[in-house]
Amino acid sequence: MARYLLHRLWHSVVTLVLATIVVFLGMRALPGDPALALAGEQRDPASLAAIREKYGLDDPLPVQYWQFLAHSVRGDLGTSIRTDLPVAQMIATALPVTLELSFLSLLVAALIGIASGVAAAVRRGRITEWIANICALAGLSIPNFWLGLVAILYLAVAVRLFPASGYVAFREDPLSNLHHMVLPAFVIGTGLAAVIMRQTRSSMLEALSTDYVRTARAKGLPPHTVIIRHALRNSLIVVVTIVGLQLGALISGAVVTERIFGLPGFGKLTIDSVFQRDYPVIQAVVLVTATAYIVINLLVDLLYSVIDPRIRIRGREPA
Amino acid sequence: MGRYAPSVLTRLLPRLLAAVAVGAVVSAGCAPVGQESDTGSGGPAARSGGATPTERPANVGEPADSASVREGGELTIALSAEPDLLDPTLARSLVGRYVFNATCEKLYDTNAEAEIVPQLATALPEVSEDGKTVTIKVRTGIKFGDGTPFNAAAVKRSLERHLKLPASARVSELGPITRIDAPDDETVVIHLSAPFAPLTAALADRAGMVMSPAALDRLGDKFATAPVCVGAFKVVRRVPQNSIELEKDPNYYDADKVYLDRVVFRIITDASIRAANVRSGDVQVADSVSTQDVSALEREPNITLLESESLGYQGVTFNVGNVDGVTQPPKPIDKPHAQDARVRRAFDYALDREALVKSVFNGIYSVACSPISPASPFSTDEAQECTPHDPERAKELLREAGVKTPYRIEMLVTNTPDALRIAQALQAMVKPSGFELVLQPTEFATLLDQQDRGDFELLQLGWSGRVDPDANITNFVGTQASQNVAGFSDPELDDLLTQARQSTDQAERARLYGQVATKIREEAPLIYLYRQRNLTAVSNDVKGVQVFPDGVLRVARAGFAK
Repeated sequence: MARYLLHRLWHSVVTLVLATIVVFLGMRALPGDPALALAGEQRDPASLAAIREKYGLDDPLPVQYWQFLAHSVRGDLGTSIRTDLPVAQMIATALPVTLELSFLSLLVAALIGIASGVAAAVRRGRITEWIANICALAGLSIPNFWLGLVAILYLAVAVRLFPASGYVAFREDPLSNLHHMVLPAFVIGTGLAAVIMRQTRSSMLEALSTDYVRTARAKGLPPHTVIIRHALRNSLIVVVTIVGLQLGALISGAVVTERIFGLPGFGKLTIDSVFQRDYPVIQAVVLVTATAYIVINLLVDLLYSVIDPRIRIRGREPA
Repeated sequence: MGRYAPSVLTRLLPRLLAAVAVGAVVSAGCAPVGQESDTGSGGPAARSGGATPTERPANVGEPADSASVREGGELTIALSAEPDLLDPTLARSLVGRYVFNATCEKLYDTNAEAEIVPQLATALPEVSEDGKTVTIKVRTGIKFGDGTPFNAAAVKRSLERHLKLPASARVSELGPITRIDAPDDETVVIHLSAPFAPLTAALADRAGMVMSPAALDRLGDKFATAPVCVGAFKVVRRVPQNSIELEKDPNYYDADKVYLDRVVFRIITDASIRAANVRSGDVQVADSVSTQDVSALEREPNITLLESESLGYQGVTFNVGNVDGVTQPPKPIDKPHAQDARVRRAFDYALDREALVKSVFNGIYSVACSPISPASPFSTDEAQECTPHDPERAKELLREAGVKTPYRIEMLVTNTPDALRIAQALQAMVKPSGFELVLQPTEFATLLDQQDRGDFELLQLGWSGRVDPDANITNFVGTQASQNVAGFSDPELDDLLTQARQSTDQAERARLYGQVATKIREEAPLIYLYRQRNLTAVSNDVKGVQVFPDGVLRVARAGFAK
């Protein structure tokens, strides 16, 4: 297990460095630079030059990259060219918003997805399955932004049940925070729920047809025990993998949804900084995202061994 | 479901969808106004009717007084873009000026007629006979937000910072200043190497803002992290990409005319979402309303739409000599549109501006034929003269110039829905006259890069406008000027512009700018298309919100209605 972990960690570091290089070069290959984006309407050559000098944009690329790498290793992510704030601070304010949104969306997705997946599998061929399937199809097909706008128009502008957009920090006002988060979490959650539902349904169907389920039933266990403790638990391995893989969808969903609902989260920060060519912010954002991806993949792999003891046992065997 | 939900849906949804689907994401504070998140579905043909531009009356808002509003309350404003640094020396964004208006007063201000009036100064500047010495009397006995006394020395210090700080955005606005003196507490004397009439207007914008010397001592070039000026409100908190919060400043000299306790600017970049927020009551004010949302907002009984003509313009620029980059000496370009003004004139004749604003902006914006807004005190009949729509004349000019038709020309446009709709309308409009317009939709920062490098044939962009005409013209068409991306150079025009800049007689300047407009129309390196209106939605619960032709949102003296 320790060796496996070490191996995975080494790979992670290489992946991270490669990701930063790709983004570093990619951003600089884009036409325009932060000075131009910052100067906007007022582009006199003297102030453009001053901005470029202040942020070291005139240095050779390897020097700039080395600076970035050397600073980030020490935990210094630099200063935003757009806002003059430390990037670490900007990420620290944006990240909790997206984490909360992702958590709530996942919660919504898991609750709806697993429940309807199980129902569809157990009540196969009946109206329940049809309804669940139709809902899943709708959930998969309806884009986030459309659902978000419809939600705003009906639930915020027309009946004023929820705020149309905006954000209040949880520690300032937990109730108002949740009130603002309900619509965006549902918008992202429903799309994800469809994926979870379909996955749960198919692996439940598979599990329900296995011998151990038949045995459990033959032993006279109550149906809910068979479904939840035997069939569902075994089906969840695949579901957890899918949820892990859906992290990308969660983040890209957050980009669009945060924009629509005006949430100052990580997705919005990413988009804004790309358009502003705010190099330090983009680099830091990618670093953080790549790290998150790697850590989550690692966690998902480790979670397997919790859910399925067979993986844990095999892990102990000599390679 | 609300009683008007279905109609809300049918009216708004297609537009909301178009807005987000096309990804109207660019909303940098620096983006030219109207290049932002205006929304739209369908082509120009989908819309018709609407009032002609001249029929729409201006509404700059009424001032509030203690009889009409109550003390206290928190005003929330939906802001179309995130302001950049809240440092008067470094700030560049238009929306930043909205925040400054409540927090950072200037030597001079602009009134509803776009005239300059004293604010921290006590009278208009006295200019010496030779135009090289400008004396300004300033207020005494007032304080900055941190309690530091305001005086001429503080003004001198701020002005010198504007001139000396690297990365200052104010240097070119302030002109040829050689020295600044503060002989006593209430007198500032500015010495110039040549007369510079636009100075007063510059002092009515960020260059005229005075920063607390104590805050400058403490923060240096990090002034934006905790800005302190003389203002009705002070900045208490800023959450990046989300909000800027202001609190009433008890040290403000006119504090008894400030009614609100707090002002919160919330950044909502999408025009449709801003409109939705003001309709749902989540915010009380929304700036830069899209022309697409105007009719829906006008139907709301509890919302008033403020509107005034912008001092800026939108237009198309030909690359006539920008080979080595902007500000470099122009070089000849071997293309008929660069060599021959007749080709560019033909393009001008091919335009039907009335039809353009009517079809694309429901007639809410007005046509522009020169850089001088009719709302400007510098406007004259000559400045408002317009090339008529005449396709036959356009074809004739192209024939005279000896070019083969259809004449193919590529146009760079920003990839926002609004800019694309304008570009498509232009494309269709100039075709019968013999132009084949090929559109190159480009992301904003890329477009800026391409235009500065001279990597374009024709491009569509605008300018948000300033009070003094010089700031709307010289930088764009003066030889090797900072934003002359056309690479245009004409000694006669340069001469007229210099004369206009150095004259201190407004009538004389207005006359000269009329000639400038004619000259630009004849040479046509830049063809003006339309002029936006500053559109602001305000809830009727709030009184005293104003937007003057300078486009700056004024909320410092607003309050909640009694």
